Amino acid sequence: MTLVAGLRAASYGIPFQPVAGVHGSELIRVNNWQLMRDPYGSGQEVYVIPAIRPDVAVIHAAEVDEDGNARVYGSPFWDHPLTRAAGRVLVTAEKLVATDRLREQPELTLVPGFMVEAVAIVPDGAWPGSMHPYYEIDYPAVERYMEDAPGVLERHLAEAPETARNTAATGR
Amino acid sequence: MDWTPFSFIVVNLARQIRAGEITFSGVNSTLPMLACLLAKQAYDFDFTYINVAGGVEPQPVTVPLSSSDPAIVHGSPAIFANQDFYDLCARGGLDLVYLGCAQIDAEGRTNVSAIGSWENPRVRLPGGGGAAVMLPTAKRVVTWRTDHSPRALVEKLDFVTAVGHMTALITPLAVFIREPVPGSRFRLESYHPATTIGHITSHTGFRFDATHAQPAIPMTAHEHTALVALDAGAKFSAAVNG
Repeated sequence: MTLVAGLRAASYGIPFQPVAGVHGSELIRVNNWQLMRDPYGSGQEVYVIPAIRPDVAVIHAAEVDEDGNARVYGSPFWDHPLTRAAGRVLVTAEKLVATDRLREQPELTLVPGFMVEAVAIVPDGAWPGSMHPYYEIDYPAVERYMEDAPGVLERHLAEAPETARNTAATGR
Repeated sequence: MDWTPFSFIVVNLARQIRAGEITFSGVNSTLPMLACLLAKQAYDFDFTYINVAGGVEPQPVTVPLSSSDPAIVHGSPAIFANQDFYDLCARGGLDLVYLGCAQIDAEGRTNVSAIGSWENPRVRLPGGGGAAVMLPTAKRVVTWRTDHSPRALVEKLDFVTAVGHMTALITPLAVFIREPVPGSRFRLESYHPATTIGHITSHTGFRFDATHAQPAIPMTAHEHTALVALDAGAKFSAAVNG
């Protein structure tokens, strides 16, 4: 939540953002967060979190058009504050769709194309995570990845859908 | 219907829910997720269940292993995503929140940041995930451990991540309760009938009052039926019961 407060400060174009709670946490000391008294006289004291402006946000969308308008189904998790706070936005998506499809329900577009610098169409791009409503978490793949042994990372990367497609297309 | 470590934790987590409450379970919280789903089936009162995947009153067809899997949103009439539930908590709108811990002390403070020192940790933990905001702003917070050990239940935390309204700590052996006010310490409320207060004392790093401790109320038929249905094929219990 303090992370989101920092992202909100960046998206609002201000240097810091007050946040509820936090009192008593040692995170205050290690992050050097500052306490501010309500300047309007309520007597409340709140911690203020400095702005966090990511250079680049990369999100995975369900559908995107050629202009970068990106649609997300289900929960957007943190996509909204992330894309508003970042300096540049890159989108990967399951499918390329026609802009007319997005015009039918524009409220489902999470990021408008003018904010998006580049798009890549990557089917199964959230693997081994899930992409609602297309596919669920690949739990066996996650468990294989969790194993602490030589070659696990290499096998995981080779198993990724984009790598497998590449190998099939190029023979390498 | 003897208790197992799995059933003792899930049922006692569910028993913390009160009628009319707005209840929330987060990431890496499979047992609280099951507790909320169990309470929906086993208890004859209404409460609202919100989860970290954005689900509000979900009706999952299959219960996922991960408590943040979008499958746990299925059947929700609304999506209430991350910004929304954190803000709801911050403004005092969440009645009961389940938050995990690596270490916990007698006053319900939690450490999910580091074992050893912050600057030079033996183990770097995943971090609060909002705990420092949610523990003091939720009305009540409940936590759990799948082990009952003096490594986790400590007199002094290695690092204080969050301080606030912790009211219950559930382990495979014990239910500790405290008032959500500064200075209140956990007291032993109930325990697994196959163990003793002496055994719990020797496996707990903090001192606690056990004056009014009782063996846990046996699992009811409704609780048992709901738990068996949720844990079909021992999908969840296998990891806890070993």
